[in-house]
Amino acid sequence: MLDLIEFGLFVTLLIVGFFAGTIVEKRHYASIRKREREYADVLAFAVRFPPDRVTPQRAFLVHGTVVISSDYFKTFVAGLRNLFGGRLRTYETLMERARREALLRLKHDARRQGAKLVVCVRFETTTISTGYAASIEVFAFGTALIPERTADSKEERDAALAFAARSVPA
Amino acid sequence: MKFENRVPAEGINSSSENPLIELGWLLAGSLGVIVALVIGVSLAAQWIAPRIPYRYEAKLAATLPSFATAPNTESARRVRSELQELADRLAARLEMPEGMVVRVGYRDDRTVNAFATIGGQTVFFRGLLTKLENENVLAMVMAHELAHLKYRHVSAALGRGVAVAVILSVVSAELGRNAAGGVLGQAGVATLLSFNREQERAADEAALRALYAEYGHVGGAIDLFDVFARLPNQQRDPNVPAVEFLRTHPLTANRIAAIKQWAVENDAAIDGPRRPLPPGIAALRKP
Repeated sequence: MLDLIEFGLFVTLLIVGFFAGTIVEKRHYASIRKREREYADVLAFAVRFPPDRVTPQRAFLVHGTVVISSDYFKTFVAGLRNLFGGRLRTYETLMERARREALLRLKHDARRQGAKLVVCVRFETTTISTGYAASIEVFAFGTALIPERTADSKEERDAALAFAARSVPA
Repeated sequence: MKFENRVPAEGINSSSENPLIELGWLLAGSLGVIVALVIGVSLAAQWIAPRIPYRYEAKLAATLPSFATAPNTESARRVRSELQELADRLAARLEMPEGMVVRVGYRDDRTVNAFATIGGQTVFFRGLLTKLENENVLAMVMAHELAHLKYRHVSAALGRGVAVAVILSVVSAELGRNAAGGVLGQAGVATLLSFNREQERAADEAALRALYAEYGHVGGAIDLFDVFARLPNQQRDPNVPAVEFLRTHPLTANRIAAIKQWAVENDAAIDGPRRPLPPGIAALRKP
């Protein structure tokens, strides 16, 4: 009898995990795609130095961080996958969402401080829970640059930036 | 050099495949592995266990509660000693494994059953004894159970049960504990030990040989099937005691045919004078 209750509980958790996880994931992806278009004008690159002809007047650190958790279903499927090996598909979406979200938060930080260019963007990942449901933190950081004021007008500044980098909005 | 930021590509780093499909495959795969493992290990254990010298089984049996303890009433003690006496006579005919001491237990219970279990023990229930009309038919049941011991069928079944429990405990601690408890526990020994058709056939044949050597005919075996044929159908009437013996020793037409075949091949008489039941057991039949 106790076994039956335990099994029922397990199946319930699995079902709840699946539906809740799917809805959360769908919503998160929709939100990520929408904001990626909104932040298309904030440029972020992995290069170590400013692009040619951009002479920074100010440079400062910007970052974005997100903590994200797996759900019961994802963890169970991943646990079974651990027996056989192969792509941990259920965790791939989790990690992808975390990285994209962290980058978006970095861009948000940059825009908030008046920068539209971030270079030397790096990612760090920290596992914060290794219990049944894995949770991770993804941390994105980079150097935000604000171009020099030699070109006095705003138009000229924008032109220099646009020359160096061309954004392609979705 | 021109720098540009593009919208991240979709579907490269993650898959849009429905995770339920992956779950289905993984579940089927892991269950398949477990089933294959259980079958493989149980076959291996079933093969190995009877080949382990009997003294190790005796040592294990000594750690478990005995089935052959002396009953508490005078008449039950008498029944037990009569059963033991018959068992000793038949065991001599059966050539039991080296070092095996046959012990008989008796249960004052209306269940129609008898079974062989670990450590050279057999247990008879009052329910079965009241259905038997002469010593020959009792000897057939007894010899059949002793033959399971002789061929170490009990060890094979126990080995299989324990091996499966070990596998299950790797999968789930709770499940494994229950299975192991079931195999070695008092209640489980009787019900979990099931023998396959080949083992039943071998036990029947050895029992017939012993019966023939003891009485000069195999009439007891034929009587046994008459007894079973007369038993009420328990499915129709829930008030009659469960006929456990039939459940664990399915009575097939093949089995009866094989017994008759054996008698013909060995030129053994099918009929002959029956010996009366020992007085203590015969007394059980009186209302």
